[in-house]
Amino acid sequence: MAAVRYEAATRRYPGSERAAVDALDLEIEDGEFLVLIGPSGCGKSTSLRMLAGLEPLDEGAIRIGDRDVTNLPPKQRDIAMVFQNYALYPHMTVAENMGFALKIAGKPKSEIKQRVAEAAKLLDLEPYLDRKPKALSGGQRQRVAMGRAIVREPQVFLMDEPLSNLDAKLRVSTRTQIAALQRRLGTTTVYVTHDQVEAMTMGDRVALLKDGVLQQCDTPRALYDKPANTFVAGFIGSPAMNLHTAKITDGGVSIAGVTIPVSRTTLDAAAAEGADSIVLGFRPESLEIVSADTQPPGFPATVQVVEELGSDAFCYTTLPGHDAAEGAGGVDVIARVDPRTPPRKGETLYLRIRPEEAHAFSTVTGNRLPS
Amino acid sequence: MTQTVAPPRTEPAALPPKQAPRRAWRPTDAFFHVVLAGWAIVSVMPLLWAVVTAFKPNDEVFGAPFALPSEWRVDNFGRAWGGASIGQFFVNTVIVVSGALLLTMLLSTMAAYVLARYEFRGNRFLFYLFASGLMFPVFLAVVPLFFVVRNLGLLHTHLGLILVYTAYALPFSVFFLTAFFRTLPNAVAEAALIDGCSHAGVFFRVMLPMARPGIVSVALFNFLSMWNQYLLPLVLNQNNESTAVLTEGLAMLQAQQGYDADWSALFAGMVISMLPVLVVYLIFQRKIREGFVAGALK
Repeated sequence: MAAVRYEAATRRYPGSERAAVDALDLEIEDGEFLVLIGPSGCGKSTSLRMLAGLEPLDEGAIRIGDRDVTNLPPKQRDIAMVFQNYALYPHMTVAENMGFALKIAGKPKSEIKQRVAEAAKLLDLEPYLDRKPKALSGGQRQRVAMGRAIVREPQVFLMDEPLSNLDAKLRVSTRTQIAALQRRLGTTTVYVTHDQVEAMTMGDRVALLKDGVLQQCDTPRALYDKPANTFVAGFIGSPAMNLHTAKITDGGVSIAGVTIPVSRTTLDAAAAEGADSIVLGFRPESLEIVSADTQPPGFPATVQVVEELGSDAFCYTTLPGHDAAEGAGGVDVIARVDPRTPPRKGETLYLRIRPEEAHAFSTVTGNRLPS
Repeated sequence: MTQTVAPPRTEPAALPPKQAPRRAWRPTDAFFHVVLAGWAIVSVMPLLWAVVTAFKPNDEVFGAPFALPSEWRVDNFGRAWGGASIGQFFVNTVIVVSGALLLTMLLSTMAAYVLARYEFRGNRFLFYLFASGLMFPVFLAVVPLFFVVRNLGLLHTHLGLILVYTAYALPFSVFFLTAFFRTLPNAVAEAALIDGCSHAGVFFRVMLPMARPGIVSVALFNFLSMWNQYLLPLVLNQNNESTAVLTEGLAMLQAQQGYDADWSALFAGMVISMLPVLVVYLIFQRKIREGFVAGALK
């Protein structure tokens, strides 16, 4: 077990101007479960492959423990990887698949057998040890791929979207199993996914990438509560956070003619950048429905669509002055409402942001403004 | 394994209920069936005739060409094997073909693997160089080839034939196997790298076993063509009985015999030389079809 450190690690694919991973600085503590997340093409898989040694670095360095592994081949890095499509050896049995690395390492047969048996027990694979991968279900194959990694007892586990080929139900149960397994083994793990639920539920910390640049790396809670910029704010959370560009007025900002109080520090910071407006972010659940004459007032919004999910209901609303030319599907504000008494389509609601639950971002840089 | 295409069922009532309904009969079917039946007869009859003739007493070969033998003479085979040295030729052929086949498969899988999976300068060039070998007629190179092999001192040797057979089989093998290796998932090779394999280890322990269907098909095609190779030994092995292969041996037998000949022994020799090809083909015919499609699609 060991800590992992990316030091300004950069990868440029030949023939591409932009770096796939641009000066990534990231420290993963010993025993930590770190999730790399981001939209397609953000460089999360490339980052993982750089750590695995499958992708060379153009600049920077990667360390595992005290060793600089930047130029070491994969086999000398003491890592194990679980691939998205599992990449099992089709001509070997489950036991051979799991014991392959040990066999290559020249371990005695008795030890291989024992360690494979232990891993198989842990993963409920004992009845299948003599089967070939093609005779297994998707979930079983996934567990064999996990088993192959566990048997090695490596310093770091690398997982590249290991759940994306499972059906929705199995994904949820396997998610819990992997997280529990990692806690139990205490092995440093880097996990790549594009599914934010996986990221939020599994990771000790989550690193969000965009266009090869690290946006924020923090605990899931912090990522949700204190997004570093508008991209993080919009990416984490479903439905996404409402992001609204609002003019600065006296003592706050104005949405639909209603002044929302914003702290002096925030307004000063925005003014220092020379901006006359800020991006105000507020999550659907941070909104409460109030009556028209409540003080401080809520802003009016017209309900366009109500999505009822059973435990929640979400109202997709437009603000007065909404530009219909933007398209019929244009929505200004999403609000979570009581699922038992959802408003009707066309109704006008007065929405108020709960105090302390608004986020302010710079219109210039997109970064979070101090509050 | 040896099962051929299932014979057509004549009684629809006997079909299991779950079988897909038959396509309606069309008048053109009759035409095609007649043509196909004719073709089958044309292909099979000479073969059968040769086999039957191999069992005839010598005077019946021309005396009653289409009759069944009056007595089944197994000793024809003995005479062919020993007296006409078919046994010797058979052993020579086995040595040359197996040597050339092993060498071809070893070299072509390695070359194809590298061409398919590693990016390097000149990769495409090498691939097209191999591919262009496919379009190169054997006859064009026969004379210079003779001098090259003579200068190497390899005329009338097994090694000489093995090397030349290999050279001629490589373009097709590399071409086909490159396409095949490209279809194998990259992630499995990467998994093997992470599991601690060297590049050679990845190839021999993981990729080669995975490529088995393709390798088997290519090996079979090569076996069939090498076994039946006539032109190359004719040029490189001229009139040397001790290293002659079967095709040469049979031709020699025929040429030497003139009019007063042991025809039945000749036919027996032919049957002997046919057998391995037939057996191999019957065993692997399904694999050949599979392999062909596996490489062609995707």
